[in-house]
Amino acid sequence: MQALELEIKNLVIESLNLEDITPDDIDSNAALFVEGLGLDSIDALELGLALQKRYGVAMSADSEETRRHFASVRTLAEFVTAHRTK
Amino acid sequence: MTLRFAISNWAAWAPGLTDQAAWQHWLRHPSQPEAEAGQPTLSEMPAMMRRRVERLGRIALQASYWGLAEQPSCPVVFASRFGDISRSVDLLQQLAQGETLSPTAFSMSVHNAIGALFSIARADPTSYTAIAAGEETVEAAFTEAIGQLADGAEAVLVVYYDEPLPAPHQHFLPNLPDNFPRAWACRLEHAASGGISLECAPHTDATPPASRTADIEILHFLLSESTAHLHIAGKRQWRWQKHA
Repeated sequence: MQALELEIKNLVIESLNLEDITPDDIDSNAALFVEGLGLDSIDALELGLALQKRYGVAMSADSEETRRHFASVRTLAEFVTAHRTK
Repeated sequence: MTLRFAISNWAAWAPGLTDQAAWQHWLRHPSQPEAEAGQPTLSEMPAMMRRRVERLGRIALQASYWGLAEQPSCPVVFASRFGDISRSVDLLQQLAQGETLSPTAFSMSVHNAIGALFSIARADPTSYTAIAAGEETVEAAFTEAIGQLADGAEAVLVVYYDEPLPAPHQHFLPNLPDNFPRAWACRLEHAASGGISLECAPHTDATPPASRTADIEILHFLLSESTAHLHIAGKRQWRWQKHA
């Protein structure tokens, strides 16, 4: 799981073009959106697209479930583990 | 009588031309700028916003920040003949290949994206306009700015930016040596005396071929000692004039 969390942190940094941020700066349990890293709704769509391309996971754009998956790197890693097709 | 304006501040950025002195020299002695790569640091903009802006947008925003400088905020007119067309071409190619588009790239590809970002980054709800008007884009932008001055604005910042057309569109423009990625900004105010006027008249003769890009010629006129500049564009001629 830790390896996947690191992979997702790198995907966040790369797909959202986060200057000056390293995987070490991202706490796996911290909030990704609004608080914590301070990402916004366009970032959520961008990250969803990156996850879809990399892991073949499908998600609905605006459901309570998707919101829960996107809470932190850890919840994303759990979601990817359960639903990845590649 | 048309309103006469004065330029209270100006700024410009292109690779290899990163300050006023370099621009002044280059406008008088035009040659290809040596550096083709590079982009401004744009340190004025928070990193979380800056990350979304591509090179041309960064160049435009750098000129905008410098053009406003320490002076009070004012309405901004952003003008670009083609805008961030490289991004639009990329998106269209991805669509043609059935790929899903990047939401960030899409949101930033619209013509008013740069103005919107400039507004959000500075939390400044002043008026922003985005203009594209073919080879008369600079004149359209100044006409808009003059209109806003006439309407009571204390000052208006005009920002012009463009870059060479990407493939497969490049043959729609003559290959002029000064069409490099660039942005310039002029802060316009009412002229207390003298000042600069811009007038439009019909043109019936053939259009002479251009040897310099229209916006560069106009910037050169605005910053030089020259008293008049005529820009012929199809059926119209635009007369720029400085008054004593």
